[in-house]
Amino acid sequence: MTVITAPDTGVLVSPRKRGRRRPSLLILLSFLIVLLVVACALFGSLLAPFGANAQNLIVATQAPSAHHLLGTDDFGRDILSRIIVGARAAVIGPALIAVGALIVGNVLGLVAGYFGGRVDYFIMRLADLVWALPGLLIAIVVVGVIGGGYYVAVVVLVVLTFPIDARIVRGAVLQQRNMPYVEAAETLGIARSRIMLRHIWPNILPLVVANTFLNFAFSLVALSALSFLGLGVPLNTPDWGGMLSQNLSLIQGNAMACLAPAIALVLTAVSMNLIGDWSYERLSDRGRAR
Amino acid sequence: MTVPPGAAGPAGGAPLLTVRGLRISSRLQGVDRVITTGSDFSLAPGETLGIVGESGSGKSLTARALIGLLPAGVHAEGEVEYRGRDILKLPERQLRQIRGSELAMIFQDPFTMLNPLMRCGAQIVELLRDERGRPLKRARARQEAARRLAEVGIADAAVADAYPFELSGGMRQRVGIAAAIARDPQVLIADEPSTALDVTTQREILARLREVQQTRGMGLILITHDLRVAFALCDRVLVLYAGSVLEVATAGAMEAEPLHPYTLGLLLSDPPVDRRLSHMAAIPGSVPSPDDVATSCAFAPRCEWRAEICTAATPPLAEVAPARWSACVRVDGIEPLMQEARSETMAARLDHEQEVALAQETGQDSAVVVTRDVEKVFGESGQSGRRVTALKGVSIEIGADEAVGLVGESGSGKSTLGRCLVGLETPTAGTIVVNGIDTSQTGRLSAADRRRLRRTVQMVFQDPYSTLNPVRTVGSTLGEALSAADGQIRDVRKAVGELLERVGLPVRYAERKPVALSGGERQRVAVARALAVRPRLIVCDEPVSALDVSVQAQILNLLAEVRREFGVSYLFITHDLAVVRQVAERVYVLCQGEVVEQGATGDVLDNPQDPYTRKLVDSIPSSDETWLAQADEAAQDSTAQAASTPQGA
Amino acid sequence: MRARQITFFLTRRLLALIVLLLLISFLIFGLLYLAPGNAIQVLLGTHPASPAAIAALEAKYHLNDSFFVQYLLWLKGAVHLNLGVSIQSGQTVTSLISSRIGVTIFLGVYAFLLAVLIGIPAGIASAMRNRTAADRTIVGISLIGVSVPAFVSGIFLLYLLAIDAGWFPVYGPGTGFPDRLWHLTLPAFALAFGVMALIVKLTRAAMITALEQDYIAFAQARGVGPLRIITRYALRNSAGPIITAGGLILGVVLTGAVLVEQVFALPGIGTLLITSVESKDVPVVQGFTLLAAAILIGANFLIDLCYLFIDPRITAGRGVR
Repeated sequence: MTVITAPDTGVLVSPRKRGRRRPSLLILLSFLIVLLVVACALFGSLLAPFGANAQNLIVATQAPSAHHLLGTDDFGRDILSRIIVGARAAVIGPALIAVGALIVGNVLGLVAGYFGGRVDYFIMRLADLVWALPGLLIAIVVVGVIGGGYYVAVVVLVVLTFPIDARIVRGAVLQQRNMPYVEAAETLGIARSRIMLRHIWPNILPLVVANTFLNFAFSLVALSALSFLGLGVPLNTPDWGGMLSQNLSLIQGNAMACLAPAIALVLTAVSMNLIGDWSYERLSDRGRAR
Repeated sequence: MTVPPGAAGPAGGAPLLTVRGLRISSRLQGVDRVITTGSDFSLAPGETLGIVGESGSGKSLTARALIGLLPAGVHAEGEVEYRGRDILKLPERQLRQIRGSELAMIFQDPFTMLNPLMRCGAQIVELLRDERGRPLKRARARQEAARRLAEVGIADAAVADAYPFELSGGMRQRVGIAAAIARDPQVLIADEPSTALDVTTQREILARLREVQQTRGMGLILITHDLRVAFALCDRVLVLYAGSVLEVATAGAMEAEPLHPYTLGLLLSDPPVDRRLSHMAAIPGSVPSPDDVATSCAFAPRCEWRAEICTAATPPLAEVAPARWSACVRVDGIEPLMQEARSETMAARLDHEQEVALAQETGQDSAVVVTRDVEKVFGESGQSGRRVTALKGVSIEIGADEAVGLVGESGSGKSTLGRCLVGLETPTAGTIVVNGIDTSQTGRLSAADRRRLRRTVQMVFQDPYSTLNPVRTVGSTLGEALSAADGQIRDVRKAVGELLERVGLPVRYAERKPVALSGGERQRVAVARALAVRPRLIVCDEPVSALDVSVQAQILNLLAEVRREFGVSYLFITHDLAVVRQVAERVYVLCQGEVVEQGATGDVLDNPQDPYTRKLVDSIPSSDETWLAQADEAAQDSTAQAASTPQGA
Repeated sequence: MRARQITFFLTRRLLALIVLLLLISFLIFGLLYLAPGNAIQVLLGTHPASPAAIAALEAKYHLNDSFFVQYLLWLKGAVHLNLGVSIQSGQTVTSLISSRIGVTIFLGVYAFLLAVLIGIPAGIASAMRNRTAADRTIVGISLIGVSVPAFVSGIFLLYLLAIDAGWFPVYGPGTGFPDRLWHLTLPAFALAFGVMALIVKLTRAAMITALEQDYIAFAQARGVGPLRIITRYALRNSAGPIITAGGLILGVVLTGAVLVEQVFALPGIGTLLITSVESKDVPVVQGFTLLAAAILIGANFLIDLCYLFIDPRITAGRGVR
């Protein structure tokens, strides 16, 4: 949730000739994984070899075989198909949260940073409040008590994420705001909204983009945790977190039923985090304001 | 291999430090870059050697190489001999022993040089050991700390218990010096020790350095970009440009007659404080990166006397006269030409009457700006009293087609006043009338008035590296400015092109982003942007302070041209008296928010009435022997007068 | 002068935090009304809805009084450590929590120590060997740690080391100290992995920033040894940002503990929370969240206290000599 962007290690960008640096293998791989996941989210039912909910008790809890590449669960459902279709639940929530926090956080952060005053005060206090509160825990409590599901969790997480985003954006805006190029624009009489959107915001874009990716990764993990606890998606919808908890008892029969969704989760989250850190470094290099 | 240019120091004997063929290069991400191409020099005991260079000359990294502290990715070849050992080849452990006890270094920025979480006294004595090699006990440590502080002119022993943030810049620099020499090193390397300080503080720090050096008989290497400072303090001077040593000589000889076109150019582009030049001699172009000029004479691309031979190969540093070293292969041939150029520039001065006449001529028309008793207080009431009064009732006038200077040190309020004129700050009291509009309460102006205001006053800022939006092309920035001036403008591209030409930049620069422009070029774009609305007054807030000297003169000439062509007035804000003399007919001297003196520039600078102005004028480095010697007296005078000044060093 | 400013600063912070706690407790109390159904249905749970039972509940929970009065009464009880009675089991919330908190504390402390003792040196080493292979490895591992939720690491560890290799028990908290240590090792490592990654990231970033500063170069130029530079110069100046994140870290530990307890079936307050949430046992949920909030806010206050000792600039007197 917090953007602790560590300085460049060279992990993410491999050195080449001066000028254009091509992304390293690792980043390309990450992009590939993300694309794959998105494809599954969009076209899951077309790509899956079996129906995600197709039960076949005869082949229940079987280890991976040529027919069922990842084996089956205790209802005889094909694990691979459930993972492919489960990508949708895995991706939609985090995407909504990331975008939601992006919009609200950026607007509030821009206004707070540029104008100061009461909006600024409000944002800072809100961010202070939310900062140390464990978002996931709150989500667990709220979703659990209300009895809502996936989308309640999404709303709760957006509410808990945007203040931090706003504070980060505010900080970045403050840095830019006192720079001569902004003051020159003010002196020329350029409209304030234009200054915020066309002058300041493009200069804080690296931070915003990186933060969005990192938010996505965090939300992915949080929502899967909620599903794991039975508080997320409805029971039969294929979902990685849900599969983890449901198939925990099968771990000695077909370990892959439990491990495969875990791996899918980890790969996606790691890829998103990598892309987030990489995009920050890449975009920061384009001579943005110091 | 050339014999390194050395002089037997005052005490005679072998040199302390001998540098032969020091080549520094960097390797980052698989790319090799040249930083310096083979420097040779030596330092005798008790001698002060100045290394003068502009940005990109490699002077700071040279200093770091001498002490073995090059950053990661940067390495040095060659030989740095100290007491029979080669610094560049020593293992880290032995280097650590030498640092501080034999070779020491102080850095440029006193605000970041000291550990913010450690008391000053502790930082000074932390490496001292008693006779048995153990750290000092408390009482003894306090004693030593007090002694060292006294040595650098801090009489108040309580400073030892203070944290750095509690002290002023000048004090911190002194603490830094005390800490650096705590273990009595033989050589002290000072990397721009006074650049970050006010000019009045600068004089005291330099005097302190000189005193400490003489008492201890240390060798001192002073790194600086300011020739005047080098001539004031150093015995010998070495000129570094884009990684190559171009000239070495004693300070007096070099000042009297430079034997390299670059040194001459540097001397001539340095504005004099005692006269106004009708036109400043500027070196065209900008400082190249050492890579680009590694195989020829580094200065050739900008030299007006270059010939085939200069670009064929790198000219070696040769002894062209007794104790005079120059890397110019044509020096014998062009010597008379150089002398001619020099005398021409000297002759281009306005004499005193002309200067005063100029001041009276201009500004006769209706005033563009009149401010009366402007006050500005920062800080909200309600917070634990952190109120700062920047301006305490300032009244100035600027007429049409008039250049007015506003001079002061940091904290004087000069920038604040400029910002009030442009509308970036609102005064808490007093009136500002711009072109007939009372702007003191910008909130209450009508939209039409505000628009008129924008078209009357514009600003050029100090830092060329953040004055332009980095993600926008030059053309886009200028286009926006033009549209802000005239919403109906039709051919923006053409107008942008014309603007660029007016400020001496090629039209194709419109497609470039600021990162592809040099500092001087960016500042030209900033001037173009200010011009786009055809203002009557441009407030220039230290527009050349962040530029190299050789580029500075170009921008000053540009400002003069622009004024001639457009009849625009200037409020020229600066701390540099020499620069203000070249630009402004009249000048106001600001001290802590109040105008202490005003008048024709020539009058004020040649004959200052107010003691503060006098102090400012006296603080300008001069190679006169007495300049450093009298620094202490001057300090005592001013502290006696202005007992409440918080910026005392 | 310093003493007065310190007390001034601390009292202001304390007051702010108390206000925060009150605000949160208000929201926590409101949970009762967030649950589906009206308060009576929630409080009844699975018990039969006889008029007698309803009347008893109304009396006990003061349901006929205004919301605010109910809140104050509840708060008063909370301050006296009386958090009500569990709907499911009938036990007092306090006794439920206190019987289970031991396991969670053990787990939390174990994991925290692991994370700090490995994470901080790793972060420092990584910063000092910036851009080398060692640095990249550590950064890579911590990237994974941040991406892997505690329950996933739990599952992997469970499978590899408990089920497959059989080195560790599969579930249960164990009895007696050494046995408990053995039982809780896998859960602690699972929990620690994520926390450790966070600590490494923080420490590394703070140290790199500190090491780039001029005062480090100046210290080196004076001959200060590398050990002293790390401890007295770099670490001291990095401590601030690291400690500030202490509240965040505690939150992560708490959340992770809840998840890990599920995986390893540990009878801690994490599993208590989950079962209570599932059965809508609101008093228990309220008790847990209030406790968690109090712990977090108290921790934040302690962190502010620490900060005072680290950085003299916070309560600096004005005035430049």
